[in-house]
Amino acid sequence: MEKSFKRELRTLELVFEFVDEFVTSNGLGEDVAFPLRLAVEELFTNFVRHNSGGQDRIYISLSRVDGRLVVKLKDFDVERFDGMDTPRVNVHESLEERKVGGLGVHLIRSLFDTLEYDYKDRTLCVTATKTLK
Amino acid sequence: MFEARLTDGNRVLLSGRLDASQAEQLKSVLDTVKESCIVDFSELQYISSAGLGMLLATQKRLSESGHSLKLVNLPPRIRDIFLVAGFNFVFKIE
Repeated sequence: MEKSFKRELRTLELVFEFVDEFVTSNGLGEDVAFPLRLAVEELFTNFVRHNSGGQDRIYISLSRVDGRLVVKLKDFDVERFDGMDTPRVNVHESLEERKVGGLGVHLIRSLFDTLEYDYKDRTLCVTATKTLK
Repeated sequence: MFEARLTDGNRVLLSGRLDASQAEQLKSVLDTVKESCIVDFSELQYISSAGLGMLLATQKRLSESGHSLKLVNLPPRIRDIFLVAGFNFVFKIE
């Protein structure tokens, strides 16, 4: 399934409807639905916040390939933004040391098996995959 | 649909889906909290990093005056997210 969404946070309501449609049509349980919603939201909001100069639409693709869940978000006509540069969160830091922010990528890295960024010809494509059990 | 409600002097009840588009609503409630407070997650269905960030910022602010948030009644999947985020090291979770 693939669909494009307007680049703004209030579109998240429609993004969640799209994810839930995919979950239902593929007979996936809440154990998959929860991390899927989380990954899509985190990537979508990152695109909205970091690629504000991009085209009006952000493309989201969800699929099952060889027993894996594949989440792909594409953003066109954007400056280079490499989410892999995001510093790793040290979850063992004290409250005083912990910084607010940066948790979104950490959560995806923890809940999914792979997270890859690809930037070419001013198009950013982020792909996250997770083995379905 | 998300709602954050201050139910009495020291208890915040969260319900619904707390995503990035709703995080400001949570902030507006947490900003009114000046002393130790219980945050009740029993009716919350979903949370992402935006909501986690608001809670962490509030915990840091309260700790400067010797106060803290206590998080209670976390549904299992939300509890899992808190553990992945390492929030069990910076919050009291019951």
